[in-house]
Amino acid sequence: MGFIKIFTKAKCPKCPAAKEIGKELKKEGVSVLNYDLDTIDGLAEASFYSIRSTPSIVIEDEEEREVISWRGIVPTLQEVKQHLFPLTSSLSPSPGRGEG
Amino acid sequence: MASVIEMKGNQQELFKHEIETTDMALFVRTSDEAMLGWDRQRIVDALMRETYVDFDTAKEVAREVEDLIATSKIKMITSPLIRELVDTKLVERGLEQARKMHTRLGMPLYDVDQLILHPNKENANVPHGPEATNLTLAERIKKEYALLTVFSQEIADAHMRGDIHLHDLGFIDRPYCSGQSLEYIKRFGLSLPNSIAMAKPAKHPEVLLAHMVKFAAALQSHFAGAIGWDSINLFFAPYLVGMSDQEMEQLAQMMIFEFSQQAVARGGQAIFTDLNLYWEIPKHFENVPAIGPGGEFTGKTYSDYLEESQRFAKALFDVYQEGDGSGRPFFFPKPLVHITEKFFQTPGHTDFLYHICDVASEKGNTYFVFDRGETAKISECCRLSFKLDQTDLEDAKHPWKMRYCALQNVTLNLPRIAYLAKGDDAKLFSKTAEFIEMAVKAHLEKKLFIEKLLSLGEKGPLALLAMERDGSPYLRMGRASFLVGMVGLNELVQIHTGQEMHQSKQAFKFGLKVIAHMKLLVDRFSQRYGMRFVLEQTPAESTAYRFAKLDLKFHSPKSGHIVKGDISKGEVYYTNSTYLNNSAVLNPIERVRQEGLFHPLIEAGALTHIWLGEARPSKSSLANFVVKTFQLTQNDQIAFSPEFTACNRCHRTSRGLRSSCAYCGAEDVEGITRITGYFTKLSSWNKGKLGELRDRYRNQAFFAQKNEGMAVEAG
Repeated sequence: MGFIKIFTKAKCPKCPAAKEIGKELKKEGVSVLNYDLDTIDGLAEASFYSIRSTPSIVIEDEEEREVISWRGIVPTLQEVKQHLFPLTSSLSPSPGRGEG
Repeated sequence: MASVIEMKGNQQELFKHEIETTDMALFVRTSDEAMLGWDRQRIVDALMRETYVDFDTAKEVAREVEDLIATSKIKMITSPLIRELVDTKLVERGLEQARKMHTRLGMPLYDVDQLILHPNKENANVPHGPEATNLTLAERIKKEYALLTVFSQEIADAHMRGDIHLHDLGFIDRPYCSGQSLEYIKRFGLSLPNSIAMAKPAKHPEVLLAHMVKFAAALQSHFAGAIGWDSINLFFAPYLVGMSDQEMEQLAQMMIFEFSQQAVARGGQAIFTDLNLYWEIPKHFENVPAIGPGGEFTGKTYSDYLEESQRFAKALFDVYQEGDGSGRPFFFPKPLVHITEKFFQTPGHTDFLYHICDVASEKGNTYFVFDRGETAKISECCRLSFKLDQTDLEDAKHPWKMRYCALQNVTLNLPRIAYLAKGDDAKLFSKTAEFIEMAVKAHLEKKLFIEKLLSLGEKGPLALLAMERDGSPYLRMGRASFLVGMVGLNELVQIHTGQEMHQSKQAFKFGLKVIAHMKLLVDRFSQRYGMRFVLEQTPAESTAYRFAKLDLKFHSPKSGHIVKGDISKGEVYYTNSTYLNNSAVLNPIERVRQEGLFHPLIEAGALTHIWLGEARPSKSSLANFVVKTFQLTQNDQIAFSPEFTACNRCHRTSRGLRSSCAYCGAEDVEGITRITGYFTKLSSWNKGKLGELRDRYRNQAFFAQKNEGMAVEAG
């Protein structure tokens, strides 16, 4: 399992839904990194991933390679989980992973 | 500037009784080409007129200067000398402000001598000759004037120190660059303030071209830099109906030769011209009523002129492919082809893409400008672009309104920020903010000055920009951009992290952080002042050299390990803007991808160079490269740069940079390649750029392999 990066902005109508997914995943022990595009770090990271619209969600593997991304749209929690836990999508993730 | 030797009635009367019967049988050579007898009253007059010193102080200063001259036994007195002596007396009294106001602008004899004898290398687009010397002399004085009076001392000092660079100070009384619409002269003809003849709208294509060339020359006298033309093939199209291929090619040839031959304009300098070209009808012009011969609406929309527009674009590239009379690439006008989603949906695009790629490989002329999604822009200068927002797209219904300008460009010396930060992140980011604040202040000061000139309307010095043929001033200040450029991001990162951007992901990401910081700051200043402050990749033809030299002086020994080039030869430079190290061995598609990650943050224009050297890739290989760049990267613009050697004896041109002619063996040859955003002769390059040229990594192996089908496909 890799980790997930969520890119949002303050004035963006769909962003709260993306943040909500992040919160849910964090509860399940997934490493979630939140980036606000109105900040330096957020904008720089978004530029690195060519993120041009918010909200965007990127899943990376352990080597920081992009596995999949949703740009300008909000996937369902289930969709994200399918890609985060491809082999065990019907199972709960193993507990104890650190948060981002 | 007025001479010191000048009389004023009343004060002369007051002073008269004090004039002694000294035997000052001296004559003063004045700036008005006269020999006048000595009269110290003139010093008093000048001080009263030009400064705020009181009358008694002025009299004292005049007397002291007179004593000095009387005792010095000087044989030839010039008004500049008197002025210097007066200034010394003002300094002795601590009257700094008065000294500043009383300053004489000009140049030392030695410098003028050098200037007349040797070429100016600050701008490779200025040839050497009497006209160019005039231009440079005028520039020097205006530069001093700008630093003394237009800008505050804080900003002028920051420029002198090399924290920032105020571009085109020699053109202080004009805006920087501009984007034009041909529709303006199609609709209003050539009716320029101060012109001795007015021309009605053109009825024939050749006349329209003549109007365009003359208007461009007039604009060049009112802008410091480039003159870009939007959708030029499309806007010519209504004049081209029924033209044969031969006539079309003739017109294309006329256009390119008119703009490429130098003797027509300012200082003998070719007009820096950009032609924006489209294969398709740009979306925002699809339903716009077309203007045709005589400035009349043709009753059709521009969508109806696709065929003529495409034929003209093809004809222009036929001319580019051939090159000039000796097979050299045309330096100007630069063709910028917009690659858009619609480009790929428009029939015939594959053949056209192959054609322009062939030209890119053969001569290097083509610039590929990528407008992804809904983006639309006008490009010009070395890489500057004006992105069109909703208001502009509304203006597109009346295309003559679409004229844009960047009022000024101020570039930050990024490596300087890193030297000052000494490895401290917080300090680095706060220093960056300080430098940007200085750039913003410089823009506010220049804007104030230009507005003062514009307020004089059609009777003022910027009459052309103040003319209101369509109800608004030609220069639309509300639409002006204020550019904040950067030089040496790569070296900033190197100083701060110990690695250059191409050396690690961490270093690269740090570079992105710096530019993100700059972007957020300029956005904030835009909101605060209601002005468009935007980042631009400064072409930095001389700035990259100037900053490196100044840092070698002020930040040695550290800077000695950082600046690029050859210190022993003085060929030093910083890497331009946000570029990766020129010598880094990178797959070109990877360079285009990585450099392109910065481009969305740099709203006012960015470009990646692909140095070809002697390689001559196939058109299909370049077309593949262009398509992949459009589809898989964020890169805003790319250009392929081959190198040439032109022989001054047999007048033939060969591929690559050589010390002798490949055809006749003569050593009287001239190297040609792209300096920043345009082609020019190497003999006009400054030392910094020559250093960069030696370092450039040519992608010859990549393209050689690609032609043989061995290279890894992009993506």
